[in-house]
Amino acid sequence: MSHSVSPHSSEKAMDIVNNVKSTHHRIRNSIATIIGIVVLAGCARNAPQDTWQPRGHNASVINHLQWIIFPMAGVVGVLVFAFAAYTFWKFKDRGQPIPSQSHGKPVVEIILTIIPALILTVVGVFTFRGIFELANTEDTQMVINVTGQQWWWEYDYPAQADQGITQPIITSGQLVIPVGTKILLRETSRDVIHSYWIPALNGKKDAVPGRINLLRLQADKPGIFAGQCTEFCGLSHANMRMEAIALSKEDFAKWVANQQKAYTSPADGSLAKEGEGVFLNQCIRCHQVNGLKKADGTPALAAPDENVYAGAVPNLSHLMSRNTFAGAKFDLLRKSCRSDVWDASSETIGVKYLAGVSESCLNATALRAWLRNAPAMKPMYSDPKKLGPSGGKYRGMPNLGLTETDIDKLVAYLLTLK
Amino acid sequence: MITPGSKYFFGLTGLSLISAILYMVLVNPSDLGAVALFGLAASGALIGAMALFTRDGDVYTDEEAVAANAPAGSPSFWPIVFALGAALVLTGLATVPVVFVLGIAVLIAGGVEWTIQNWADGASSDREFNEFARTRAISAIEYPGLAAVGLGVIAFFFSRVVLAVTKEAGPIVFIVVAMAILVVGVLIATKPFMKGTVTVVVSVLAVVALAAAGTYAALSGERHELTVAAEEDHYDASHRECGAEASDHYDHLANNTVSLRSAVTATIFVKDGKVYAEAIGMTKKVDTVTIPRSSATSVMFRNLDEEQHRLVVNLGSAKVATTGVIEKVGTCTQLTGKNQEQVMTLKIPKPATATEPYSFTVPGATGEIKLVVP
Repeated sequence: MSHSVSPHSSEKAMDIVNNVKSTHHRIRNSIATIIGIVVLAGCARNAPQDTWQPRGHNASVINHLQWIIFPMAGVVGVLVFAFAAYTFWKFKDRGQPIPSQSHGKPVVEIILTIIPALILTVVGVFTFRGIFELANTEDTQMVINVTGQQWWWEYDYPAQADQGITQPIITSGQLVIPVGTKILLRETSRDVIHSYWIPALNGKKDAVPGRINLLRLQADKPGIFAGQCTEFCGLSHANMRMEAIALSKEDFAKWVANQQKAYTSPADGSLAKEGEGVFLNQCIRCHQVNGLKKADGTPALAAPDENVYAGAVPNLSHLMSRNTFAGAKFDLLRKSCRSDVWDASSETIGVKYLAGVSESCLNATALRAWLRNAPAMKPMYSDPKKLGPSGGKYRGMPNLGLTETDIDKLVAYLLTLK
Repeated sequence: MITPGSKYFFGLTGLSLISAILYMVLVNPSDLGAVALFGLAASGALIGAMALFTRDGDVYTDEEAVAANAPAGSPSFWPIVFALGAALVLTGLATVPVVFVLGIAVLIAGGVEWTIQNWADGASSDREFNEFARTRAISAIEYPGLAAVGLGVIAFFFSRVVLAVTKEAGPIVFIVVAMAILVVGVLIATKPFMKGTVTVVVSVLAVVALAAAGTYAALSGERHELTVAAEEDHYDASHRECGAEASDHYDHLANNTVSLRSAVTATIFVKDGKVYAEAIGMTKKVDTVTIPRSSATSVMFRNLDEEQHRLVVNLGSAKVATTGVIEKVGTCTQLTGKNQEQVMTLKIPKPATATEPYSFTVPGATGEIKLVVP
């Protein structure tokens, strides 16, 4: 019996074959592109949160562990995938008869048990050594309390005379530390679970309400190191950033001295003085400025617990000694001035950072926009009509409805908080 | 043809939709309740569609014969149970909540049983098959339900016993009962061919004994200190008497052991009549403890002296809203014996003023620890 193939069906078959080939090409090209992008991404130089660039002892411990475990895992992974691929190719269905089936091969099973056990033992030894080393806090030289809340970090420095801190210091957004000092962060949270992570200085540690978790940091050289909250904590989790500023011990002492400087009220008749009045009318409901007094001479105490779900908002004393605001989401410095600080060498960064924010360097556009309508700048739960789930309290800064004149005055006043 | 099973779920869908709309209009358009009702409607619609698609699991032997030839079902007492549930609900609304909750439970149980039986009675013209269908459908609900009720009864009676006996005897009772269950279980397991009735008799005897002991314990009432604690509310701040002397109310049966050692920011000691403190991470003793504003923070108090002491935190003074009188603000631990400890958790919303700084003190001991809230 003979089979005849019509020209029409032959063309159809060729079309199908060509389509399959074309699809194969597309898949192959897509995979090659993705792999290429991943490989090229590894070459990125501007990667401030790169876990492979440790800048302190604790991060180096983790990095050393990575250099042991990743190659081992890589070799195992490649071998497993290669063996699986070979098996799929070698024994794919070509119409051959099913080979005889047998149950169990003790020698193979024992080898396949012992090899992973040996690998895991080696990994375990290095891992546990690293864990114990990172957990050591006995030789701590400085303690800083770190408190997370939606969506910013607060840092308070208890009095530590041997570090020159005679009065407690409170700041936010930027953690300032002296180089070569074993810092212990005592982390907690006021609302939900957050996680503190500055990859260049150490691994991550959760900040849990009601608990105090410890994390050690140490920077080898002066510099700025970026970080990011790594526990999903709500609407603006992605905007909950942090920066660690490592200064030489001399520069750190200057920073401490500045933070402990008493509050100075702006000169009478100045725009900043009017701004102080606006602050006392509006901002003091939540934001504290240490030393600020009401018209009757009594201390002006903020009451964030009455207005905000977390019970705290950033303390704005010495605001202009920082480079960021709103949970380190926005820069207080204009782009060129910011680059001047971030790109400074380890020898000059201290001077540049301690210069703070001058009027000419102020990122007035961002600050004014924030004062004009903060929720438009950063997603927050600050619509007064939708505060039911948080008991009528804000999570984030609301739109205060300030006039442009008030904003002018406030910006002038905030510039004095150095 | 719309099958009986799908009718039930489509009905549920319609009812849920109407309820959801009414809920949104009358209660709150964006409340979770509306979401739940819409979810119920969607679930009902999905299950209804599945029932329709599978023709109620294809239990019909002859679709057309079902309606015409299905024999009348056996007499059912579930409508009476359902009515009893409704009566209890109404009675509960007028009297006490527990009757209302009981009524809801009876209403649901009666309703489910009645629905399943009604559905099974019309499943086919074969009465035996219908009984089989009912058993198969209801067993998936009855067994877990009865097991939950049984466990609840056991837990209730056992808890009455543990609440009635002394604090020392409680763990012993627990261990003895657990050991008895283990021994009997092992004995039964070693006799695989033992008659099932023996297991049933043993189980029934155990439950009866537990019920008798639980009833007796419930009638006897809880042990003395629990009764006193409930009457006086030891942990109410208004009962806190923070002097050096013992308080009949607040210091009654203090526990003096803590379990949250890893979460305290500092430990305050009293030794040889002097107060000192250690803070996490600080290598030397500290004279100041710093607590973040508005953050629940725990401080441990450990007494190393022979005599009993308590830790007092002084948080300035404030005007009492109801009386207008200015009173001292603060709280304290209960009296703590030698080598014992207690934890105090504080959430302080505002920093201290210069005129009224915050501090920790121990009545009867010298020294104080400053408390700073930045």
